[in-house]
Parts: sequence; structure tokens; C-alpha cells
Amino acid sequence: MKPKLFSAFSLVLALAIALAACSGTPPATQPPASATEAPAPTAAPAQPSVLTIANSTTFPDIDPSTSFSNDSAVTSNIYETLTRYNPPGSKDVLSPQLATSWESSEDSLTWTFHLRQGVKFHDGEPFNSAAVKFSVERTKTLNGGAAWIWGAVNSIETPDDYTVVFHLDYATPLDLIASSGYAAWMISPGAKDKDGAWFNAGHDAGTGPYTIESYEPGQRVILTRFDDYWGGWKAGQFDKVVIEVVEDPTVRQQKIESGEADWTMELATENLASVGNNPDVKVVVNPSFQNLVGLLNTQKPPLDDPKVRQALSYSFPYEVFINTAMSGYATQARGVIPAGMYGSDESLFQYPFDLDKAKSLLTEAGHPDGGFELSMTYVTGNTVEQQAGELWKAELAKLGITLNLQPMAWEAQWDLGKGDPANAQDVFVMYWWPAYVTPYDFLFNMFHTEEQPLFNLGYYRNGDFDTLIDDANALSGGDKAKAESMFQEASKMLVDDAASLFIFDQSNIHIVRADLKGYVDNPAYSHVVFAYQLSR
Amino acid sequence: MAVYLLRRLALAALVIISVSAVTFVVARVIPSDPAALYAGQRPTADQIEAARERLGLDQPLYAQYIRFLGDILQGDLGTSYKTKHPILSDIRTFLPATLELVIVSTLMALLVGVPLGVFAGARRGGGFDQVTRIASIAGVSIPTFWLALIFQLFFFGALKLLPLSSRMSNSVALFNTFPTITGFYLIDSLLAGNLVAWRDAAWHILLPAFTLATYPISLTLRMTRAAMVETLSEKYITAARAQGLPEHDVLFRYALKNAIIPTLTVLGLSFAYSLTGAFLIEVIFSWPGLGKYVTDAVLNVDFPVIVSVTLIVTVFYVFINLIVDIIQAVLDPRVALR
Repeated sequence: MKPKLFSAFSLVLALAIALAACSGTPPATQPPASATEAPAPTAAPAQPSVLTIANSTTFPDIDPSTSFSNDSAVTSNIYETLTRYNPPGSKDVLSPQLATSWESSEDSLTWTFHLRQGVKFHDGEPFNSAAVKFSVERTKTLNGGAAWIWGAVNSIETPDDYTVVFHLDYATPLDLIASSGYAAWMISPGAKDKDGAWFNAGHDAGTGPYTIESYEPGQRVILTRFDDYWGGWKAGQFDKVVIEVVEDPTVRQQKIESGEADWTMELATENLASVGNNPDVKVVVNPSFQNLVGLLNTQKPPLDDPKVRQALSYSFPYEVFINTAMSGYATQARGVIPAGMYGSDESLFQYPFDLDKAKSLLTEAGHPDGGFELSMTYVTGNTVEQQAGELWKAELAKLGITLNLQPMAWEAQWDLGKGDPANAQDVFVMYWWPAYVTPYDFLFNMFHTEEQPLFNLGYYRNGDFDTLIDDANALSGGDKAKAESMFQEASKMLVDDAASLFIFDQSNIHIVRADLKGYVDNPAYSHVVFAYQLSR
Repeated sequence: MAVYLLRRLALAALVIISVSAVTFVVARVIPSDPAALYAGQRPTADQIEAARERLGLDQPLYAQYIRFLGDILQGDLGTSYKTKHPILSDIRTFLPATLELVIVSTLMALLVGVPLGVFAGARRGGGFDQVTRIASIAGVSIPTFWLALIFQLFFFGALKLLPLSSRMSNSVALFNTFPTITGFYLIDSLLAGNLVAWRDAAWHILLPAFTLATYPISLTLRMTRAAMVETLSEKYITAARAQGLPEHDVLFRYALKNAIIPTLTVLGLSFAYSLTGAFLIEVIFSWPGLGKYVTDAVLNVDFPVIVSVTLIVTVFYVFINLIVDIIQAVLDPRVALR
């Protein structure tokens, strides 16, 4: 390199550092996002109040029709649904949101929703029955993400501006479906010519309290309050919401501890105790509607024998696993329906960890000394699933059973699972969460008979079970209590049959700044912060 | 020279096409169902079949490859199966972030590594040489993700001097925005005349760029030192010294000119490698770059993204190599471009 060139480089770098260093402390060293501290030389005199969320994931798709992932952190603040599922412990299962009331016909085949009046979309369009029809039809036509939740809808009528009538092909609880955090958002008809690319460029068409101000993919979304929001605005609510993508847990921890973020999630569980000791930070632990299962291959020997499956259920070290892998932030599952959810059953039998019992069941089944091998598939890099496998492998070895752990990319794991059960894995470990809150989501997807396996990856086949849950689902639109007891009966069948290892119900752990008021976690909308409910 | 360039360009085209074919086939033989990936988290069977048809995955592999090449020639890299975003627009978002980071860190490597290497070589065996030897061995052997965390704890946690992560502060994103033109924040903020944002962007890039630079700095230092030791024993240097030229001129004007050639080659390769190899730094500093983008794609077996990014990085490799070769010829007349 020529010295002149070299000197020029030096000069540029020196200049850069000098410029950056000039005028004292740089703005970035101060917690920037809170209203009182943000230095904002060109901002308006009245400082807007800002809520900062440090989210652990990016937002792959913010098109409200097709979004079916972690994007709900964004969409839930911009869009609204007809009904909203209430947090566990509430008086009613659902609250009105864009619908003020609703009713179904006796046979649950016709649903009528009465709409809230005086609601405007962010683009100025009025919210009315035509908008509801447009939204559901757009979602059904695009047929991406969770569009299948509307599968029963045959036609939509709009007798007047504020009444909408759904005619269904089969009975299903449309009020619950309308509360889904995916594919049930109401979208402005003004966006009828817009595609996914338009939405993902940072545009929106909702009625919600916030609208997108700017979007830097992979980095942050900034939301600003929608002044004409039908719910109105009270003093203390936030003017702006910054949803930042911070994928590294250590960095999220530093952000929440330093006050750069007001809310975060998924910190290393072993650090939570020390985080909780900080008086400026609160650790909020709640049950979630996500659980971990190990679906057992019911079509392939030796697991086609229920006794062997029961033996396996007794051989899993639930408590040790939950305490080590989850630092105690989970509870052993009672069947497949997560605790606290509609349809869960506190009195359902739980298999305890009992190797003697397992051994005697194996003896009854003709395998007194084990002597067989099992393969377990799970997602590569998922340390929780890996530890489940390793701990279980050690216990199974005591029974003479060899467990082969097969970590795979999810796509590959699923592909193997969808193939011929005779060549597939013996144990399929995965997490499950509902698209909308109904026990049917768990019972149907993972255990209803499938000719071509999709998510029933233990290949469970039980005609009585199928009929029971289908009937319960049809009934759950009308007689929710009767339907619930039928769902509970179906759960019991799965436990008796040991169709799966029911490992744990996960806890939702969120970390919030102590001065944040009004925060309530709602497991129906996983890892969503409803900013409108909060103030400082 | 012109013939040389044409030949190199033809060779580049061959390399790029071969790489695209190999990546395409390898990405496809991995056991996975791309249609299921496209159909989303919890698709129904008919959503998967619709995706398969829409993406042409039901056609033979060669037909898919020809279609893929045809699209690329029309400037269409396709869409990500995972996010459904057009890959070109994703790359337009993520590549500038990475380029900005890698360029700054490469500049650091040049400006820190080369002079330190020159001085270490000039005082071979001295105290300075020993210290830089230990430092550079540490620099190449300490894992960057660990170093990144330590730097964060020190500069953000303890000293409160530098920002923790991301490309700019929320306060700037909220109140001091500037239009995106090049995607390089340091340039866009200057173009907008927004010095507050420029300073903020500069403060944000320092730590990740320096962390990323530790490896190339150490490498540059060691290579420059070794080359200097060799060059300084040449007779023409003795002659220069005998004529009473100032030591600074001897080192930088005469010795370095020859000594820097291998360093440039290595630095060029390290630059291209960092385009996708910086993903740990990108994750830890929440830097929305290409490395993070392609790592996610690899984990999801999102092969249109894998193939597209591989292609782009190949193009960078090929052209950086070419540029380095040309610079070498300019610096050293003995290197002939034939």
C-alpha cells in the first residue's frame, strides 16, 4: 500500500472517531427509550411516552391474513378480532372486541355477530359488516398460515352495516375461532389490492390502538398511537411502542436490567433468580398454553402394545427433568390439554416416575429385561428436548431399553414422521400450542385418526375417541359445559392408552420493568404485549 | 491487461454457475419438504400440496434448476420459503448492514494491524514484538462471541461508554430518522445532513466492528511482521539505509510496499468470509445482517435463500480476489497480469 493511501485511511478513521467522540457523551449510552430520558434534539417539545419491548425473534410475516408466527407481537397491537379470549381466571371465556355480542343457532351452524359502531380503520375506512366479510374472505382466499380456522365457513351474509351472519358447513365454535391471534384479524377493505409484500414493507390496515410508523426488518418496528381509536385514550398510556428484535438472551437481560427495555422474554432460566433480585425489574411467571409431548408410535412394535407405552410413561423422570432443564419453570402435564385452559382437568391421572411399576408392566408385556431399541427424534439445537432425551435414556437403560437420540432439523424430523409409520421414529418429541384456544386443537391435530399422517405423529387410531372429540367440538359452540366434560373424557382415554408422553406444560416467563402498570399475561396470545393496557 | 480481465471474468462466470449448480443440488438432497416449509408453521395437507404446485416442486430437479437460472438472469432471486419475502429485497436490507460492518472492521485491520506489524517486524525480538505476538495469538484464538460478550459487559455494563447492540438507538429511530438510500447508515445519515444520527451510527458500529476485526487485525499483524522481517533483510533495504534515508521512509515507503502483498490477499479472503461468517457477532449485537439471515435459512433448510446468498457471496469472493490481484500488480511490477 502506498503511504499516501495509508495516510488517507488513517485520516478517515481518526476523523470518524473524533467526530463520533465530539460533544461529550454520545446519545446511545443513555437508556434512550423512556420518555423522561431520551435525548431528542429535534423532537417536539412535549416528549411522547415510549414503551420498549425487547422481542426475542424477528417478524417473518406481518400480513394479517397469513401471519402465523411470532409476528403476533406486532399484529396484536395493530389489528383487532371480533372477540377476545380472556386470561385464565376470568369470569367469561371471551370478551367482546369488535363484536359487541354474538349468538349461534341451536345446531351451531349459523352464527350472528353484532358489530361495534363508530370504529374506524387506520386508513379512515369505517369498520362494518362488509369489512368483516372482506377480512375473512381475503384470509380464506390467500389460504396461508392459519386460514384453515375458517374452514367451516360456507358463506357470509351482511343483512345490515352492523350485523354479520356466518353460515357453516359443520358445527364449530366460531366465537372462539374469531378470538384467534392468527388469521382472525379484521382488515380494512381499503387494502383489497394490497399483497403480502405491501404489508411486509411496513404498512398496515387495522383498527387497533396503534399503527406502524416505521419498520426496519430484522431490527425494529415503531408503532404510534392511532388518535381515532374507538377505545379512546387516557392519560399515561403510551404514545409510541418500539418492538426491538434482540435475539441474544444475554443482551436482552442487559437491556431489561439497564432500563433500555420495558419488557422482554426468554432469558436463561438459571439467571432468573438474580434478575428477580433487582428491585427495578419484575419476573412474571404464568402458565402457558404450550406443552411438550413425546408422541409414541402406536403402530409399530413394541409400542403398539399399550402396556409397553404405559411402562414408558412410568419411566420418564419428570421432576428431575423439569428441575434441571427448565429450572422448575414448568409443571408436569396432566394429559394433553394444558392446565388452566378450557377443557383441562385437574383430577386427571399423571404417570409418576416409577421404574418398578414400569418393570412390572414390561414383564406383563413379555419384555421382562427390555431388550429392544427405540428411536427418539427432536429438533437439533433444542437443548430442552435434548436433555429430555438424555435423562430418559439413562432411566431406560436401567430397564434394558436402548434409546437412540436423533436430533434433526424440524423439517426433516417432520418429513420422517409423515412417512410410513413402520419406518418412522418410535418417539416424536415436539411442542404444541393452539392456533385458537380450544382443546380440540390439541386432541384433533395430534390424536384424531389420519389416513395420511400430518400431526398425528404417534399414528393413534381410536374410532370412539374420534367420535367423542368431533361431537364435543360441534357442541362447544353452544353447550360449553357439556362439551368440556366430553373433552375431559377424551383426554382420559389418551392417558389410559398412554398414547404419548405428556411431559410438561411450559410456563410463560416475562420480565418487565417494575414501574410498568397494568401488565397481565394472556397465554391465549403467546408472548404478546397489549401496549394499550399499559401505562407508566 | 484487457485480455487478462476478460479471461478472469469468463472464469468467474464459470465458477459462479458451478457453485449455483452444486448448492442447488446439495440443498435439495437434504431430507426435508420445502413445500411444507413454504406452507408455514402448522399447515394442512392441502396447503402443502398447493405450495408444492405453486413452487414447481413437483417437477424434475433439472427443470427446477433451469427455471431457477432463468429467474436469476431476469434479476429475480425468488422468494424465501420461510418468510415469503422476495429474497432480493431481503438482501437489499441485510447486505448493506453487513457490508458496512465488514468494511469498517477491514479498515480497522488495515489501520491497526499493518502499522503494528511493521513496527514489530522492524524491532524483531524486542519487547514490542513480544507483546504484539501474545496479543495477536490471543486475537486469533479467543472465540469472538466470548469477546463480544466481554466487550459488552465492559464498554456498556461497566463504563457506560458504548451502546449495547443494534445499528442505532431507539431515540434516533424515533426522533431523528433519515431516509434509506444506500443502506449504509454512516453514509445515509451524512447525506441527510443528520449529524446526530451519524454519531449514533458510528458509536453503534465501533464495538461490533472491532470485535469482528480482532481476528483480521491479528492475522494482518502477524503476516505483515513476517513479511517485513524477510523484506528488511533484503539488500535494497540495506542500500536504502546506507544512503541515509529516514527510517520511516525505509519501513513504509520501501519495505512495506513489498511486504504487504500477502497481507492483502489474506485480508481480501477474510473480507469475503466475514460477509456470512459474522453471524455470531450479528446475533450478539442485534445487527440485522446477511450472516444472521443465511444462518436462519440454513437452520430452516430455506434453500432459495441459501442458494441466493451463496451465489452473492461467491460473486464477492471472485471479484475481491480479482481486485486484490490487480492491486498486487499495481504495487509490484513483477506481478504480471497475463
